[in-house]
This record gives sequence, structure tokens and C-alpha cells, in this order.
Amino acid sequence: MKKIGLGIIGLGYVGQIHLRHAQKIANAHVIAVADLSKKALKKARNNGIKNTFISYEEMLKLPELDAVIIALPTHLHLKCVRDAAEAGKHIFLEKPMARNAQEAKEILSIVQKNNIKLMMGYPLRFNQQFQTLKKKIYDGTLGDIEIAIANYISSGPFFHRAEAHAPMPVPEWWFNKELTGGGALIDLGSHIINLLRWYFGEITDIKSHLGYRFNMPFEDKATCLTKFQNDTTAIINVGWFLQGYQLKIELIGTVNHTTVQHKPSNPISTVIQMLATGTSQFYHAHKAELQYFVNCLIKNKKPTPTGEDGLKDLETIEKAYKNQINID
Amino acid sequence: MIDLSLVSLVKIKNSNIKSAIKESLGLIDYKFSKDIRNIVIKPNLCYYWDYSTGQTTNPRFIAELIELINESLSKHVNISIVESDASAMICKYAFRMLGYEKLAEKYNVKLVNLSKESCNPVQVTVGEKVFRFMVPKIILEADLKINVPKIKYTMRGIELTCALKNIYGCNPYPKKFKYHGILAETIVALNKIMRFDLCIIDGYIVSGIHPRKLGLVMAGQDPVAIDAAAAEIAGLNPKKIKYLQLAEKEGIGRISYIPRGVPINYFKSRYPRKDFKKKLMGKAYAALLLTD
Repeated sequence: MKKIGLGIIGLGYVGQIHLRHAQKIANAHVIAVADLSKKALKKARNNGIKNTFISYEEMLKLPELDAVIIALPTHLHLKCVRDAAEAGKHIFLEKPMARNAQEAKEILSIVQKNNIKLMMGYPLRFNQQFQTLKKKIYDGTLGDIEIAIANYISSGPFFHRAEAHAPMPVPEWWFNKELTGGGALIDLGSHIINLLRWYFGEITDIKSHLGYRFNMPFEDKATCLTKFQNDTTAIINVGWFLQGYQLKIELIGTVNHTTVQHKPSNPISTVIQMLATGTSQFYHAHKAELQYFVNCLIKNKKPTPTGEDGLKDLETIEKAYKNQINID
Repeated sequence: MIDLSLVSLVKIKNSNIKSAIKESLGLIDYKFSKDIRNIVIKPNLCYYWDYSTGQTTNPRFIAELIELINESLSKHVNISIVESDASAMICKYAFRMLGYEKLAEKYNVKLVNLSKESCNPVQVTVGEKVFRFMVPKIILEADLKINVPKIKYTMRGIELTCALKNIYGCNPYPKKFKYHGILAETIVALNKIMRFDLCIIDGYIVSGIHPRKLGLVMAGQDPVAIDAAAAEIAGLNPKKIKYLQLAEKEGIGRISYIPRGVPINYFKSRYPRKDFKKKLMGKAYAALLLTD
């Protein structure tokens, strides 16, 4: 069977995670990586990547490259998708799809025009706990889900504030709303909105209350009240203010209720998981989503979450930014 | 007879920080001189951790200090709050995110990124090591330099961060990690060339093994004595801390001091200390109670 030739564009925090997992999946091999950082490229070479590029445009000229994983800052997504699509490469694109719905629409149009496959990077859909939750919703064991409460709180781009870590520099684009498109809501909220749309269908209405603890022009906290077409009501809390990490979904149905929390295993379990599968349970979803993307390319199937999903998530977020509730 | 430095320890009552700072200065017989025109205040800003973590100086603490200075001098003085870029911190964002921009606007004080200031080259020797630093003119020319650090545990072999370590942040060179291998010597060198007149410790929230509201204000004019007291509060032996021994040897100050105010044990018993023996004993005791 032909192996899919992968390239990774952007070796920041998420790009490094993708590189690590892309090297472990079946029926694919990482041919090349591109990044402006010579240090990151050197590290990739040390990890066995033969072709490294400062310019991703040069990398796209490689004929053996079938697909690229784009893990660049959000403001660079549109141009990079255009360049990759015009070079005939399939695309795995990190969330959020773009800075706004208008850019996302342009991305969709480029993808359709060039007849390439686009998959959005939303790893929560590939997490086993959240997949089990979806099964519980659909097999009726919880009854009708009346209320969902979703918390995704961390320190976001400032994640190295966690005391256990030595501080690492925060890339400066994160401080510029023009480049990110927003704050915690677009960054973490896009994960939750995508997951809850997968569970309950389309969102019919959303209102938000935003917080600005860190005095920046973007929100570092958001609470959204959301209504779905199946009548489920969801309260979504996202934030960049916690030194730790909480990703928790609670569903309250007419028959039963349940809570799922995604958190790292204890160190001993993590070592056992690493030895057994090469990936910790915490990061398993990142590997699974890349494997699924490669399988779709081999079988010529349209991968999901699609670009249309990415657009709908951004349209919902734009609506949330527009429909703000003030509580004084 | 050797003169020992005074170190005052005061408990903040009813969240009244200004009153506690005033009391702490009174206990060390410190009065703001009427001749002062230019004041530099150095808080401890560390990465983008906010005050609630105990890692950085609370802007409210600085605000109440500024109010006290203004009330004491009853004339306009130029106050600059200084910090510098660091390996992982861009000063302008730290000022904004941690609430210092709002503070500067409210009290009409300047925020100064020392990494962008004009400097003079200065050479200094610690033991046999020779250091060359660029020293910001704003610090050299200030009439009064106030150091407002935190008490924190730290890694990199120096164990404690307080008054002396806070001056490390006055080095305008951003890539400070280059000094990590010789941290004790670097801290002492910087304190030799930038002598601050007054240290007032923001111990409202401290960062031990976890943050805790300790409600402490500590003041003194000798940074070595201040750090010795801070070490005792944190459950460390100051005489065994390398940079304190070195600082004393280089004549910056003295480890021995005269405490004034609330007994140090009051704060020591409440500090979230690294005390593994106590923790183990506690667990064993809890296990015994459970099996009882």
C-alpha cells in the first residue's frame, strides 16, 4: 500500500505535538517540515526528518508530498491553505479555521476550487471518553439531555505559567487580537462548540458574557448560554486564567446524569501507556485524528470534522461575540 | 559592638495595607526625606503570573505605598515603577496584564521598561568573578530606590527569592538565563552596583508550596537581613543559603538582624513550607486515626 507523504507547516507547540504523532501512525511518513525557527528545524532533523525548510512554499514543491498539517498562527491560515491547495496538497488544518467566518468561507471556496480534502483539527472528537459520551447520548441511557455544562479552563497561550514548568516565551502574535481573531472563546470555545454540535446538532442561539481579568483587548474568560436545535441548553465556560487545566463535560438528562473529565493520568500510568502504545492516553486523540485523516486520504473519503464544521463553529463564535450579556 | 539592621514584621489588619506599611516603616525608624524628587519602585513581576498566585507584587500594594509616599511628602515627586524584559516575559505585556497600566494611569506614575532605557556600563567583582553590566541611568540617578519583592521558593540552587533576587530584574539584558549557572554571584554583583535604600516586602499573599494569604508586611534597609528573615519564615536556614553568605561577605548587609513587631514565628507557622517530615508525620497520624 502506498504511504501518504506528510509535511508539517509550523513547529510551535501544537506543530511539535503533530510531528511526534505523525511519525507514529500507520501508512504515512513525515517527509518534510517547515518553520522559521532554525532551532525547531534542527530538533526535527535530530528526530529523523530529512527535509527541513525555512520557507513552506519551497516545501510544497516536493512532489512526494501528498498532504500537509498546518499548525501556524491563525492569521496565516488563509494564505497557507491557498498555497497548499494550489500545490495540490490535502490539508489537515488546526483550529480555529480562521480569524473570522469571512476568512473561513474563503478557505472553503479555495478547497472546493482545487478539489482537495480538508480536515479540521478537533481532537476532542477522537478522545475515547468523549466518544463514549456521544454513544451514551444516542443509546438513550441518559434520557433526553436537558442541560449540558462544559468547562474548558486553562492558562491558554500562557500555559507555561503553571508552577511546575519553567516559563517559556509566549509567541507575540498571541497578544494581538487582529492576528488571533479573539481570546479564550475562539481558542478554547471552538473546541467545545464543535464537540457539542457533534453531540446535539446545530446551535439555534448563543449569548455570551466576557471577562477581561488581564486587561488585554481580548477576553480571557467567557460564559456562553447556548440553545441547540434538539432543545438542549448548554452553559459553556472557557478561560485562560487557571494555572492548571480543567476540561469537563457534564450532561444532565431526563433519566440520568454523567460527567466526563479529561485529565492527564498519574505519572506511573503515563509511563505504562507510553511503553505499551508509544502515546500517553492524554494525547491519544491527537494520534487518532491524524491516523483517521491518513485513512480517509487512502480510501478517498471526505474526512470530518470538515471545513463546513470549522465555518459553522466560527459563525457561532461570531454570534456569541455579537450577543453579549452584561451583568454588573 | 556591631550595628545590626532592623527588620520589622507587621500583620495586615482589615485589609489595610497602607496602615501596615506605615507601621512597618515606623518600627525601623524610617522617614521619607523631604528632599526626595525622583523615586524608583521595583516590584517583582515574574512572567504573567498575577498577584493571586503569590508570585508577583500586588499592584494594590504598590498603589497603597504610593498613597503613603504622597501623604508623607505632601508635594509632587516623580515615581517610576521599573521592571525589565526577561527570557520569557515581555515587560510591556506584564505591566498591562498584571494591572500596572491601570495603576500608573490612576496615580500618574511612570512605567519604565529598563530594557529600553539608556544605561551606563559598570564593572563589578564578586570573589574572583568579574561582571560587566549595563546599569539603567534611571536607577543610578534616583533619590530613593524602593525594592518591593515577594517571598518565594525558587529552583536553580538559590532556594529563596526575596529582596536580593528582585534586583536581578533590574538587569536590562533580557536573556537572563545566561546567568542561571552563576546565579548566586550574579545576584550579589547586581546588588553591589544597585544599592536600594528600602525594602518593603509584599507578603499579603505568599507563594510557598502553594499560595497563601499570610498578611505580612516586612520592611528594612538591609536586603541581606530582609532575606535572612524571609528565609526563616519560609523554614530555611539563612546561614546555609549560598547567596546570602556571599552577599554578607561582599559587604552588602548582614544575615543577623534585630526583629521588630510581630514575632517571626507567627508568620513562620503559617507559611506554606516545604516540610516533608511534617507532611509524612501528618499522613502517618491520619492513617493511625483512620485505623483507630
